[in-house]
Amino acid sequence: MLNSNGHRRETTVSGVDPALKPRLRRRSTFEYFAWIICCLLAVGILFSVSTNPNFKWHVVARYFTHETIIRGLMLTIFLTVASMVFGTLLGLVLAIMRSSSIKPIAATAGVYITLFRGTPVLVQLIFWFNIAALYPNLTIGIPFTDISTAVDVNALIAPITAALIGLTLNEAAYMAEIIRGGFAAVGKGQIEAADSLGMSGAMKMRKVIIPQAMPSIIPATGNQVIGMFKETSLVSVLGVAELLQSAQLIYARTYETIPLLIVASLWYLVMTLLLSYPQAQLEKKYSRATSLLPRKAKKVVLTAPEGIAR
Amino acid sequence: MNTDGTIHARAIRKSFGPKLVLKDVDLDIASGEVCCIIGPSGSGKSTLLRCINGLETVDTGVLKVNGEDLGYYETETAYHRLNKKKIAEQRTRIGMVFQQFNLFPNMTAQENVMAGPVLVKGAEKGAAARQAHELLASVGLSGFGDYYPAQLSGGQQQRVAVARSLAMDPEIMLFDEPTSALDPEKVGEVLAVMKDLASKGMTMVVVTHEMGFAREVADSLIFMDEGCIVERGDAREILRNPKERRTQSFLEKVL
Repeated sequence: MLNSNGHRRETTVSGVDPALKPRLRRRSTFEYFAWIICCLLAVGILFSVSTNPNFKWHVVARYFTHETIIRGLMLTIFLTVASMVFGTLLGLVLAIMRSSSIKPIAATAGVYITLFRGTPVLVQLIFWFNIAALYPNLTIGIPFTDISTAVDVNALIAPITAALIGLTLNEAAYMAEIIRGGFAAVGKGQIEAADSLGMSGAMKMRKVIIPQAMPSIIPATGNQVIGMFKETSLVSVLGVAELLQSAQLIYARTYETIPLLIVASLWYLVMTLLLSYPQAQLEKKYSRATSLLPRKAKKVVLTAPEGIAR
Repeated sequence: MNTDGTIHARAIRKSFGPKLVLKDVDLDIASGEVCCIIGPSGSGKSTLLRCINGLETVDTGVLKVNGEDLGYYETETAYHRLNKKKIAEQRTRIGMVFQQFNLFPNMTAQENVMAGPVLVKGAEKGAAARQAHELLASVGLSGFGDYYPAQLSGGQQQRVAVARSLAMDPEIMLFDEPTSALDPEKVGEVLAVMKDLASKGMTMVVVTHEMGFAREVADSLIFMDEGCIVERGDAREILRNPKERRTQSFLEKVL
């Protein structure tokens, strides 16, 4: 038999052209074994979780949208957004300071980053909460004059202020490193080109370095937001009624510890999943080679009269 | 005497760590002169060019560009570094074209050309846009103003880079291997733009491997090797009849 191309068509017992037969992936015995084990485990866990009355799923359902929990969730969202915004701004300042050619300025930022990255956030939070022990009175005034007002630090540092300060200052150190990494990814040639045009340092930063550092900074910042969302649970130790603390407040009263922890966990999980999608999109967007093209550029047709090389 | 567009260097020395890359180099370039610098890689020719534009500082020696000490001011005993504003000001009078183009990828061709006048000189946007339009036309790229560098070929990008430097209205243009990163087909279009520029009387210093360009356009030629100027003189004369053995062997290999 000859097919349309004039090649001899070979037929096997089944009558299928060998050239058209799919090529299958090899499945090892281990793969089947893994499927069986994992399915058994999943069934076992599901069974246990659904039949163990101590999980008290009806309690979980009752409290999932309880007013206290929702208020806690809102506070958690607020803390995340606020500390990320302030942390990023401070981080940008620190990153610029860190790359300064003036030694004391670069060193100051370096010391800050070392201190705040080198100590646990939990410790930092408790520290800021108790800062009044170090400086009981904050005096704001103009040096060498009598004009000043004293503020009681204990009153100023409410739990929520301490939480915000602690999270912001800590996040700033991490963001500074992320932003500095972004700066470093901008080619040396770009800086030389800006220099050769006579651009000042600030202009270079604003028009050349920052716009080009964005593609590496933005996805990393998205990751930080997700991390920060869960990190806020630490401020429960200060008595700030965020999501975890709200759950704790309820189970302190009702002794339904596990169900309420599940409520809080589910909310953390839901929010993290919600944030993961845009984060993945961001990462995809900025990993493409075309990310070098600003969005506006898409209007331009990609065929020039002389053709497009590279 | 008008010293605009001149370069004067005496005994300049530059080292990177223990490695001496420029060994007492003397250089005199007159206004309107087109000078090509050739030599093997690592001979210090790019470093010399980068010193003339202030991207590198020289260790010792005299370096006057446009009649001014570049990046420093002289006192009885020493050269003192100028402040950043003065250095930037001096740089606006020297245009530089890089091997890798170094266009700003976040700006269109037109915005790249306008960057210098608008951001550095504070020019009015409308006027700068008109100037950019004319400059892009002069390098054969009218109608390409809205393209981003990534949408242009290497040759087109390099021509935008030339237009960007010209937008600052410099007295001197420096070219650091402007055609080395281009595929052979695109070399001609960039050289044509440079030739046009030379005919308009621009002072140009060109580090290049394009001997054809040197022969056709250059007034003077410098051959460098191991941080020294080995031979200098009339471009055509050297290319036809090199005096030094080192120059002879180099030219034999590249021609």
